[in-house]
Amino acid sequence: MFGYVVINEPELRIREFDLYRSYYCGLCEELHEHYGRFGQLTLNYDTAFLGLLLTCLYEPEDETFEKASCIAHPFSKRPRRRNKYTQYAAHVTILLSWYSMRDNWEDEQQIRGLAMSGILHGGFKRAKELYPEKAQVIADCLERLHTMEKQEVSPDQAGACFGDLMAELFAFRHDEWEEPLRRMGYYLGKFIYLLDAYDDLEDDAVSGSFNPLLPVRARMQENGADFNGYMRTLLTMLMASCTRAFEILPIVKNVDILRNILYAGVWTKFEEIYAKRTGACPDDNVSQHQDPA
Amino acid sequence: MSDPYKILGISRDATDDEVKKAYRQLSRKYHPDANVNNPDKDKAEEMFKLVQQAYQQVMYERQHPYSSSGFGTSGYGRPQGSSRPGSSPYSSQQSSGQTWQDEDGTTYTYYGNFEDFSEFWNEFFSSFGFGTQGAYTQDNSEEAIHLRAAASYINHGMFQEALNVLDAMEERSAQWYYYSAAANSGIGNDAVALEHAQQAVSMEPDNQIFQNMLQQIQSGSKWYSSRQQSYGAPVDAGGQCMRICATYICLNALCNICCCGNGRSC
Repeated sequence: MFGYVVINEPELRIREFDLYRSYYCGLCEELHEHYGRFGQLTLNYDTAFLGLLLTCLYEPEDETFEKASCIAHPFSKRPRRRNKYTQYAAHVTILLSWYSMRDNWEDEQQIRGLAMSGILHGGFKRAKELYPEKAQVIADCLERLHTMEKQEVSPDQAGACFGDLMAELFAFRHDEWEEPLRRMGYYLGKFIYLLDAYDDLEDDAVSGSFNPLLPVRARMQENGADFNGYMRTLLTMLMASCTRAFEILPIVKNVDILRNILYAGVWTKFEEIYAKRTGACPDDNVSQHQDPA
Repeated sequence: MSDPYKILGISRDATDDEVKKAYRQLSRKYHPDANVNNPDKDKAEEMFKLVQQAYQQVMYERQHPYSSSGFGTSGYGRPQGSSRPGSSPYSSQQSSGQTWQDEDGTTYTYYGNFEDFSEFWNEFFSSFGFGTQGAYTQDNSEEAIHLRAAASYINHGMFQEALNVLDAMEERSAQWYYYSAAANSGIGNDAVALEHAQQAVSMEPDNQIFQNMLQQIQSGSKWYSSRQQSYGAPVDAGGQCMRICATYICLNALCNICCCGNGRSC
């Protein structure tokens, strides 16, 4: 998984950070319980975000809270929170990971992908039985993406595959919030996909792998246009659409953690790439982080 | 529905967060699960639905201040005639469309993002229609005819048809890029719309209409950017270290050894 949907840590209150981490640890424990140690290896921030989002929206009363040590932290007891949405996130994580591992095996013959997917196969089957519709949509979207990779398609078409995939995962159930959740998932999925494509540009240019941004960059370089600036603008448009949908949801408790992620945290990777590619340093703009002289 | 603000018990000046709080309180109060033993539970359920509708109406109106069609005609429901649940109406591919008939019996089918359509047009094109810019109405060259056809399709929200016409043309003038940006934007192709709008502007930098189009395409971004600072954007690229779980880094490394890598489709 990508791991782009992260917090902007310096801006979170300690209480908020602890809360965020407690759900992250909760997801880890869900993966452990349902899918064993290998399941835990699929833990990632993106599905942790989904679990947290749904928790904040639906405010489940049935939530377990415990302080416990774990394999990664054997000597300290850490708080962790679990509920049916962290459970859902765990099942989704396994589905996504399994399909993408198979994809990597088929695309790039990564034997490790095949091996891991073999180990997780039993778990995958269980997850698929629990959420057959979701599994089908993931498979279909990745298949669509596969087909597109053989042709020249626009970033929109390729991004929409992943957008549709995420939209399906965000739509936890058919209710009054399905529509804004789908829209949010769609735009976040497109954002993630294109950010990853932006990240992989250099590698894909060399290896000749499919990347829908390569022709765009080539055109812009020919015309003397600012490709990196274009990416910033485009990704901003996508996050703007995503957060518009997000702000429809009547989330009140812990909404600032989610906003920290959606308005700032998701840009972490982008700023890193942008700084490298343009030689610009974002610190020049960040006067609020400087200590008073 | 009577005044949704009254139903929620808030003033029109309430912030979005206050609206959400009010909704949360009332929906908790009237939720069916909270009223199982209530002799008036039917009334409670009615109120629950009413509160729900009121909330959605308020939020819709706040996000679409210029829309003449109200909530219930477009907006958060799926466009009528949309395909099976589970499909995304926001996909840039052609999904099933909304069909209607003109006075003279011509049938139109609209495939675009319904929400953007009403907003896009109410805010931008209400003052002048597409294709009424002087020079092109007299010109009868093949290029001009095609551009006018594209403009006409765009005016009727038939963005895929417009794109078909535009893609068949060989000449790529600034005007062509401008129309392409509009059509692509209508259908949700943000990446292409942005690239073409920027191209049109760079070909005719003094053209105010092209500048406006470029701004319009990004209309949501100003609002988004204005909110970013409170959460610390721009994010410090160099200093971020995800201390949340140092083991995650190890796990991640392990993961790179034994599974995902950086496949595009992951």
